[in-house]
This record gives sequence, structure tokens and C-alpha cells, in this order.
Amino acid sequence: MSRILVVEDDERIRSSMRLALEEEGYSVDDVASGEVALARFGEEHFELVLIDLMLPGMDGFETCRNLRRHSTVPVIMVTARSDTHDVVAGLEAGADDYVTKPFVAKELAARIRALLRRSRSDDTGESVLSFGDVQIEPDAGVVRRDGEEVHCTRTEFRLLCELADHPGRVLSREHLLERVWGYDYFGDGRLVDVHVRRLRTKVEPDPANPRFILTVRGMGYKLAV
Amino acid sequence: MGPTEAPRATGVQGAGSATRGARHSPRTHLSGGLGLRARVTATFAIGALALSTIMAGITYFTARQSFLNERQTTDQRQAFANASLLQNSLRSPGTNVDQLLEQADTLPGSRSVLRSGGQWYATSISVGKSAIPDQERTLVLAGTPATQLFSLSGTPQLVIGVPLPAVHAAYYEVFSLDELEGTLRTLAFALAAAALVTTVAGAALGRWASSRVLRPLAGVTAAAVAIAGGQLDTRVEAGDDVDLEELASAFNQMTANLQDRIEREARFTSDVSHELRSPLTTLSATVGVLESHRNELGERAQSALDLLDGDLQRFTRMVDDLLEISRFDAGSAELSLDEVDPGELVRRAVAVSAPGAGRRPGGAGAVPVEVAPDVAGLRLRVDKRRFERVMANLFDNAAHYAGGVTRVMVERHPPGRVDGPPPLSIRVVVEDRGPGIPVPDRDHVFERFYRGSRSGQRASSEGTGLGLSLVAEHVRLHGGTVWIEDAPGGGSRFIVELPYTAADLVYPAGDATGGPGGGPDRVQ
Repeated sequence: MSRILVVEDDERIRSSMRLALEEEGYSVDDVASGEVALARFGEEHFELVLIDLMLPGMDGFETCRNLRRHSTVPVIMVTARSDTHDVVAGLEAGADDYVTKPFVAKELAARIRALLRRSRSDDTGESVLSFGDVQIEPDAGVVRRDGEEVHCTRTEFRLLCELADHPGRVLSREHLLERVWGYDYFGDGRLVDVHVRRLRTKVEPDPANPRFILTVRGMGYKLAV
Repeated sequence: MGPTEAPRATGVQGAGSATRGARHSPRTHLSGGLGLRARVTATFAIGALALSTIMAGITYFTARQSFLNERQTTDQRQAFANASLLQNSLRSPGTNVDQLLEQADTLPGSRSVLRSGGQWYATSISVGKSAIPDQERTLVLAGTPATQLFSLSGTPQLVIGVPLPAVHAAYYEVFSLDELEGTLRTLAFALAAAALVTTVAGAALGRWASSRVLRPLAGVTAAAVAIAGGQLDTRVEAGDDVDLEELASAFNQMTANLQDRIEREARFTSDVSHELRSPLTTLSATVGVLESHRNELGERAQSALDLLDGDLQRFTRMVDDLLEISRFDAGSAELSLDEVDPGELVRRAVAVSAPGAGRRPGGAGAVPVEVAPDVAGLRLRVDKRRFERVMANLFDNAAHYAGGVTRVMVERHPPGRVDGPPPLSIRVVVEDRGPGIPVPDRDHVFERFYRGSRSGQRASSEGTGLGLSLVAEHVRLHGGTVWIEDAPGGGSRFIVELPYTAADLVYPAGDATGGPGGGPDRVQ
């Protein structure tokens, strides 16, 4: 039974989320603030974290950033606003995905399942993928740049593998959403955009003028060979 | 053009709703009758006319006086010279007076009249004793020299009378002022022409000045038009003109207040929707839990749960729609464009809008999507989420009022060959077999919370009242239009037209490797 940590200040929402997720077969711990969440996360093991963006004290963005410093655990942001600004800021803080309130419990559960399922090792078939000075070892889940290990979240890692596995080919956002997040056609393209941006800061010599992970406007992304 | 008006009408409605709170509406009359420019021009012209007429008048009369004085002095000198000559000649007796007079005339146009020894002598037949005015005659005969202006058969004349007491005679010399009159007439004509030119120049100056003065007004007009069009951050610049600063600052203040008000209203709607989301989240999650224990409930409890679930969804949609509307009102709605295959887009949108796919009631069941063959290969730039909302709302609308969608088509407009020039737009046509919508209502159905004459047909209470207005807003954000026609065989036909932009025109060279011809890798 997967353990999920829910960080939400509204007690009623917290209780209802626990009820709903337990109904889906997860073991749920809930906390009311980012500070407590970080403390709990330091002591115990969770397989996924749900963080509300609007928290008193340390807000959801900050909590996520702190969490990301020493963990690649899948994080889903829970936001009352689906404005581009909040969604992008949440993803940039390191979240793998987001849901907007009010969400349907079954939909949330499906997203959790997708994120947990792909935490397993990759299926690229290659033992080592490489471009430029970047080496990827899919089986070991390690990315090296100039021999030095690069810290990537699991989503970033999968995205990088997907791109590196099809060098020179344009991969549409839908394709990446399906392959990396496990979502259907109507997944949010912003997920891909923000993750690509994050990935560039880790593997590109100059993230503002990418040499490897190129944008093909209106179509998607490709890895330059 | 009815069809294109529809979404625009909703937009205007939205902007108008923000100002509806005004309690009284005083009106300032800016102008009466004639246009400002015409009035300024007329004022300048009249001013120039008056001024130039006065100047011309003064010039004319001064010149006339001066000419006359000069002429009089010259003529007097001659008359006195002639008179003294005559007096000398008359002293010697037996002189032929007529001959004497003939010799005296020196200037052309001057005629002499002499009274000597009780007799009148004249050099001209027309100018004799009778031509000399009485007053002049008596005055001179009494021994006083006199000068008088008079008119003789329409011609101005000057008569100078000199008494010759030594020989008991009087000498009159009559000068015709015809030449002087001619000069004055020419002068008057020249002055009148100058006055006319000045008047025309004044009018031209007035027109130029009024255009210059009105130029800032054109700026204000453009700003007002922009604001009316929804660009609330429009401001006017006074430049370094102190006189315009007041207008500019008043205008900008007004716009800022308006913007503030509209934004506050939009923010309020947005805040309300957000606040409502917390309890909705709890409700949604707990209803979900109840749903999974549905079988443990009694029949009545199950019915109650269904009602609860149905209205919870409706409430959620309403909050979502309100939030969406508030974003349109605040002008913060942004497109997130993707390039997609139109047929695929509509098929997917229909799939999620259909009742089986989601929790949508009524709806289309398995409505096949007919994609015209000439659409093949075209790629449409569209915000998928918004397009999905458009389709879902059209399906909802059909489900509520027309018994569901019967047909969905994707067409190219204008029709053409696959390898021909790119089309202007892609049309998505959604038909139902309902009672149809009367022509006068067609524009109004895109208004918020519009019930109109269809209120009686309200089949269920599922609608939020915002669906079609959001359809219009979403489509408009794409630069497209939506309108309603009669479906063949009864019912309504909603046509969503999205502008088609050729891919190779949109992407800068070098960035796109797979152009429209190359084709990107399709998702498997």
C-alpha cells in the first residue's frame, strides 16, 4: 500500500481527501503546514506528496522547493487557481503535476497511479544514451554531465530518456504527455513546457539558447543530433 | 452580418455590465449644431473679412482725401495763375476775352468761365454760367475766392472761383476729376480683392488651426475607441502641452477608475469562485466516497446521492464558468496554442464531451464526426482545452434544449483541393434535431444567462446559463466566430469558424524542421 503525504491547511478538505484516497487504496498521512510536512518527510518514507499551494507560513511553492533539495519523490500541486501563472510557478518549484480544486477523486487517483507506475525503471532498451557531454544510464537512473552526476526528478529523467531515445525526431507534447506522464490527449501542454525548461537548466551549457533540447514551435520538442 | 455580430455582441455586453452601476447619468453637451471645425473656420473667416474691410475702407478714404487735397492744391495754383494772367490782360482795353480764355487753359479737362463787364464767357459749350453752382457763383461775385466739389452730368468736378476786383470780373476754372475717380476706382477694386483674399486666407488659417487644435481630440477619440474595445490600459499623452494636460489627466483618471472598477468586479467574481472551490472540493471528495459505497445504500438514499452528485457537478461547472468569464472580463484569458489535426481534434473533443466518456448527461452518445476529405493534412493552431470547452458546451446546449447532437462536421472554408492554396478557416459544424432557434434569438443565445423564448423549453436544470457565452468568448479569443443557422431537416446548426494560419507563415525559418510538407511524427 503506497503512502501518500497530503499537505493542506483546510481541515475539512484534508479529511475529505484522506477519505477519498483511502477509498482508492492508498495509505494517507495528512499535515496542515509546509513546515510540519518537511519535518515528517525527513523522518518517514512517502511515495508521493500532494501539496496545496496556498498554505499559511511556508507556502506550497516554498515547501516544494525545499522538498526538491533532497528528494525526487513525485509531487502533485493542488491549486485553487488554474491560471497559467500559478500552474507554471508550481511546476517550476519542482512539482511533477498539478490538479485544480475541486477535483474529482477518481481523476486524482488516476494521476497518482500514473506517477507511481512510472517510478519504475525505464524501458528504452539502451544501456547508455548520450548527447553532447551528457550520459544517461536508464537502468541505473543516473544522468551525468562531464562525468558529474546531475540531480533530476523522475519526471525530468523520463522526459530526458524519451527525448534521447529518439534523437532528431520531433516529439509532440501529446506524445510526451502520454509517454512521460501517461496522460491522454487532453493533458496540459504546460507540464511539458515547464519540465523541458527545468531540464535545460540541468543539461544545457546555455539554457537560454539551447543546443540540444530544441523547441519546434507549435509541434513539440526534439533532441538535436 | 448577423453571424459575426453574435460573439461581438456578447463581448460588448460584458464590458457594459461593469458600468451598469452608474446611478445618474448627466450629459455634457459638447456642441450645438455646426461642427467645431466649421465654427472655428467661420469665425476666422468672418474676423478676417471684418478686419480687411475696415482696413480697406480706411485706406481708401485716406487715399481719396490725400489725392483730392493734392489735386485741389495743383488746380488752385493753376486757377490763380490763370486768374492773375487774365486780370493783367483785361486791364488793357479792347482785349478779345474769348481768345484770352482759350490761352489760359493749360491742363486738359479744365475749362474756364469768366464774368466780365456783366457778361459770361466760357471755353466749353457744356460748361458755362449755368454749370457753376449758385453758391459758388454768388460767393465769388461777392469778392471771396471759393472752391467747391460738385457733380456735372454724373462726373465729379472741382470748381475754383477767383474774384478779379481790379477789373470787376470773376474767373472760374472747372476741373474734371474723371481721371482721379478712375484711379480711386482701381484702388477700391484692388482693396476689395485684397479683402477677399484675406478672408479666404483667414478661413484657411481657421481650418488649419482648428485641425491642429482638434488633433489631440483625434488622439482622445482613438483612445476612447480602444477602451470601448476592451483595451482598458489605454492612456493618452499630453506631451509637453500644458493646455492639454488637464484633458489628458482627466481622461486618464476616468479610464483608470473604469479599469479599476472593472478589474475589481472581475476580481470579486474570481475571488468568489476561488472561495467556493474549497467547500466544493470537500463535497466532491466526499460524494466520491459515497459513490463507491453506493451499493450499501438504500434506494431512496441512492436517489438522493444522484441528485446531490448531479447538482454538485452543475455547481462546479458554474464556478468554473464564472471563473472563466471573470478571466475574459479582466482580459487575462490567454491562449495556449498547439498545432493539431482538425479532424483528430474534433473527434477527441467529441469523445470527451459525449456522455459515456465523462459524467456528462444527455449528450450525443456515439456521434460520428464527418471530416471533409479536403481537410486532410491541414494543421490548425488551437488552444485544445478551450476548444474542448467549446465542444462540451455546444453538446450540453444541444442536450438541454434540442435532444442532443445529431451530426458533427469538420469543413474547410472555402472548400478546395488538398494540395491547393491554404483555406481561410476551418469550420466545425454541430447540428441537432431540436425545435431550432428563432432568428431574432440567435444573437442573444450567446449572452450570459440568456433564457429568452427558450425558457419554456428548458428540459432539465443542468445548464449553467454561461455555456454559450463562453463558447463565443473562447472562439473570439481564437480570432474566430460562431453563429447559428437552420439545420437541413429542422433543428439548429452551430457553426464555429476558426481562422486557419498556414504553418510556414507562422514559424520563423530555421526553427521548424518539419514544415507542413514534412509532417511531424504523429502520436501513436
